[in-house]
Amino acid sequence: MSDTRRLIERLPNDIGGVPAPEIDRAEHELQIWEKRCHALADVLDFHKLINTEEKRCGVEALGSDVIGKLSYYERWIVAFANILLRKEVLTPTELALKLQEVQARWQMPKAGGTP
Amino acid sequence: MTDSDHDHDHDAIEATDSSPGYYELLEISVRELLIEKQLITAAEIRRQLEVLDSRTPALGAKIVARAWVDPAFKARLLADGRKACEEFGITFYDDTQLIVLENTEAEHNLICCTLCSCYPRPVLGLPPDWYKQKPYRARAIAEPRKVLAEFGTIVPDDVAVRVGDSTAMMRFMVLPLRPKGTEAFSEQELAALVTRDTMIGVVHPSLEARNPQ
Repeated sequence: MSDTRRLIERLPNDIGGVPAPEIDRAEHELQIWEKRCHALADVLDFHKLINTEEKRCGVEALGSDVIGKLSYYERWIVAFANILLRKEVLTPTELALKLQEVQARWQMPKAGGTP
Repeated sequence: MTDSDHDHDHDAIEATDSSPGYYELLEISVRELLIEKQLITAAEIRRQLEVLDSRTPALGAKIVARAWVDPAFKARLLADGRKACEEFGITFYDDTQLIVLENTEAEHNLICCTLCSCYPRPVLGLPPDWYKQKPYRARAIAEPRKVLAEFGTIVPDDVAVRVGDSTAMMRFMVLPLRPKGTEAFSEQELAALVTRDTMIGVVHPSLEARNPQ
């Protein structure tokens, strides 16, 4: 009833005015991969592969459960992957094979190739 | 839902000997695939990392200090924020426009992005974590005076509070009020008073809180 109505009336990103606790002013230094993720977002925008609004929608499409559990740049990179798959820029097979290949660099001794 | 940007444990995610976490692996994989397909280049990523490093609130502080000492520049800044910043040598690497909101004796401005984390990055660099998290995004437009009070900023009732809610294309920045007692300050000394948070609008510039020069 009112629980589901809330889900329909407000998409996950639309939180203006909803009750929220005090602001936690702690700040963290970006990890290197987070900064690379940000640079990737900008470059994707330059090439019109994913623009800012598509990125925002891509995060929203993750749904509130995932949004609530992933950190800021974790949400971004998952959204990018989903959007690129949907646009058929990447295929699921390509991405799965690439993930295996990248992971293997850290599993084999002297595999080299930190990003 | 809980917006837990900061309250869950991460595995150590480092590009060193230990294996990166899942999301870093995903970032590496997506980036490398796009490079292999010649849709982007590694040089573009490197260049953008340098651009991101070059953007800090010190740029915005210079803009504010110039506006305080040069009324003609201030008028141009308020008329077209992006154009005035570009005139100042600050390039915009995205498609965003910039609206500069002037604080006056009668009006105090605050910026936020309720939907995500839009922020005038070309001028101020990356936003603080709290700007991107739920409490600030949810509350800034609904109870700005309470939010300001949490930052120690009490806005008198006879001063209006206006909140600029950013979008993907339209970004805001606050032009704070020049503090009293700074009449003899040089432009550089003035810029040292202008912190990131004064340009978000959560605090006033003060003679006590200066940037390192």
